Amino acid sequence: MIRNTKNDTLIAYVLIAPFLVIYGLIFVYPTINMFILSFQDAPLISFGPQSAEWTGLDNYTRLPDDRRFGTAFWNTAYFVLLTVIPGTLVALAIALGITRLSGRIQSLVLALFFLPYILPVSVVYRIWDWTLNFQFGIAMHLFDALGIDRIPIFKTSTWFMPAVAFVTIWWTCGFSILLFLAGLRAIPVEFYEAAELDNAGRWTVFRKLTWPLLWPVTALVLTIQLILQLKIFDQVYLFTTGGRPNDNLVMVYYIYQRAFQNDDGGRAAAIAVVLFVMVIVVSVLNFQLLRLAERKT
Amino acid sequence: MKQLIGIALGATLATAAQAQETVVWWDFLSGGDGVRMKSLIEDFNAAHEGEIAIDATTLEWGVPFYSKVQTSVAVGEAPDIMTYHASRIPLAVSQGVIQPITDADWEQMGLSQEDFAEATWNAVTVDGKQYAVPLDTHPIVLYYNRELLKKAGRLNEDGTPMGLDSREGFEETLAALKDAGVEYPLGSVTADGNFMYRTIYSFMGQQDGELLTDGEFLAGDNAEKLQNALTVLQEWTKNQWQSTYTDYPATVALFTSGEAAMMINGVWEVPTMKDLADEGRLFDWGAVELPVIFDHASTYADSHAFAIPANNGVDEGTAKRDAVLEVMSWISKNSLFWATAGHIPANSGVTASEEYSQMEPNATYSSLTANMIFDPQSEFSGVAGPMFDVMSTYFVPTLNGEMDPAKAVEEIQYELNDM
Repeated sequence: MIRNTKNDTLIAYVLIAPFLVIYGLIFVYPTINMFILSFQDAPLISFGPQSAEWTGLDNYTRLPDDRRFGTAFWNTAYFVLLTVIPGTLVALAIALGITRLSGRIQSLVLALFFLPYILPVSVVYRIWDWTLNFQFGIAMHLFDALGIDRIPIFKTSTWFMPAVAFVTIWWTCGFSILLFLAGLRAIPVEFYEAAELDNAGRWTVFRKLTWPLLWPVTALVLTIQLILQLKIFDQVYLFTTGGRPNDNLVMVYYIYQRAFQNDDGGRAAAIAVVLFVMVIVVSVLNFQLLRLAERKT
Repeated sequence: MKQLIGIALGATLATAAQAQETVVWWDFLSGGDGVRMKSLIEDFNAAHEGEIAIDATTLEWGVPFYSKVQTSVAVGEAPDIMTYHASRIPLAVSQGVIQPITDADWEQMGLSQEDFAEATWNAVTVDGKQYAVPLDTHPIVLYYNRELLKKAGRLNEDGTPMGLDSREGFEETLAALKDAGVEYPLGSVTADGNFMYRTIYSFMGQQDGELLTDGEFLAGDNAEKLQNALTVLQEWTKNQWQSTYTDYPATVALFTSGEAAMMINGVWEVPTMKDLADEGRLFDWGAVELPVIFDHASTYADSHAFAIPANNGVDEGTAKRDAVLEVMSWISKNSLFWATAGHIPANSGVTASEEYSQMEPNATYSSLTANMIFDPQSEFSGVAGPMFDVMSTYFVPTLNGEMDPAKAVEEIQYELNDM
């Protein structure tokens, strides 16, 4: 049978059309609009007496002197530092532990570690607020019993970011554990048997076998984590409300403040563009670096 | 089958009743006052059967509510009527999301400037035009535990705390409570600067301080007045007279459990106290106007008001407009019940009534209506507005003794003027 290739192409286009339309409508079009908005002095929604005005690069040039932007930028960087690599290592360690178990115990332990991941962020916030609340938190009674002074964890700028990072790792590492487990299971058992025959120690097996073979998964986890943590918002928003919001700003929070609280669509868009570019640059860089590292090993 | 017929019949009847105006209503009132508003709406619907029916939806308080209003107005899908904070009206006017209430409207509603306190009327007025019908004023008050005050020997004959007229007097009460073994003489929401803004702004008002003058924040000696207010509160922390790093629910819990003898909080907590007392789970309690710490009495207040969104077809001369005006007028005139939520009805006809004067503790603190101050009229002010975040960031460390008040004022001044 002779196939009509022209027809095939048509069908292909028809089949991908719904995706393209939706993608264009809810991703490409708003993104273009965001870029346009970032060059204007405009409210979030142009309506009535407020109208947009072209201001060129003004929204960008004022960023370096904007103190809140500085806070948001450095806090985001600090948060990424506190979560990406530590979170990945924690997940790897837990995954290595879980592979040593077997049967029902393994499923049970895995389920326990995965459980936090399915919680909505508001529940995570409630749990940890109840635990660490200065007046009534369970942890504070523990502090009292140990004779340590109570610490208002989410109300001081020293402890805020580390605490949110800790909660985030607790909350999200379940997913990374799953990825690592899949990676570990893909390593053929024969390799380990051979290593055992060669009388290799546990550390050597990990360093020479597990780590390099697991590297593609590690690279993937690192990249996912990096992108995710750059976009942090919910946890910071929930834990800081009423506390010291402007000391604990992160990029997305600052966008939210500018856009929804100050109704400053233009300036919000400019920050969003900066974050957009940051995410692209950092993740491409990260991925390339990791690939480079892979070739070396 | 009978049921089915019933449903079908009901549906036809509902269609037949389409001649009546349906007023789409949005509010942000959940919790104790939400329950009371729902019952007011039911009463309204019952009294206007066949003429007007309110179709009410309750949305999330704060930024989510106001963002939704803005977007819905822009696309012409706004409700016919909505609740609004008076403090947010300047911002709403600059965004063009609400319609003015015209002189003809006021006349039609049978309400006028005389029916409202001056501060409340001014709070809904921008450039000489009114943009909302005030429903209530909700100031903050001082809640107190009579049993603990009595134990400390600081309760007056009439059952009010001693020393409400001066800083020295009030501090004497705080010290006496501490000596009497009370853990926290004053329960303060020190972990939430947004909330403490209300107390601090009241203390500024007691010195005739203003936040915004001629477009500049904390100009002249206003900065010093803010610093004075912060210094007093920080000293209370240093003397261990108030709870530290305490968030809103924890503060209420400290008070209701008797660990804190007094608490500065909004009148909206009155239903909480009443309900607990009715169940026999609360001590003998009361609420009064804030103590005078500086020169004269002054209390922060905001007002829940009704506004008509722009761009929704509720134009003058339409039947819908008439219905909306009837809603606002009726609820304002029947707002006595609303007072059971702790709020002070804005309609002075209601507060002058015999029934209201019997209502406790409202009657005790409604004297403060004469000393109310509202937020400065600015696009930055209002609940959940940008000014709140700046303040909160520096209030929390200052109130808990981490930051010097002078330093905090300097930072606040810089950030506010940088918005």
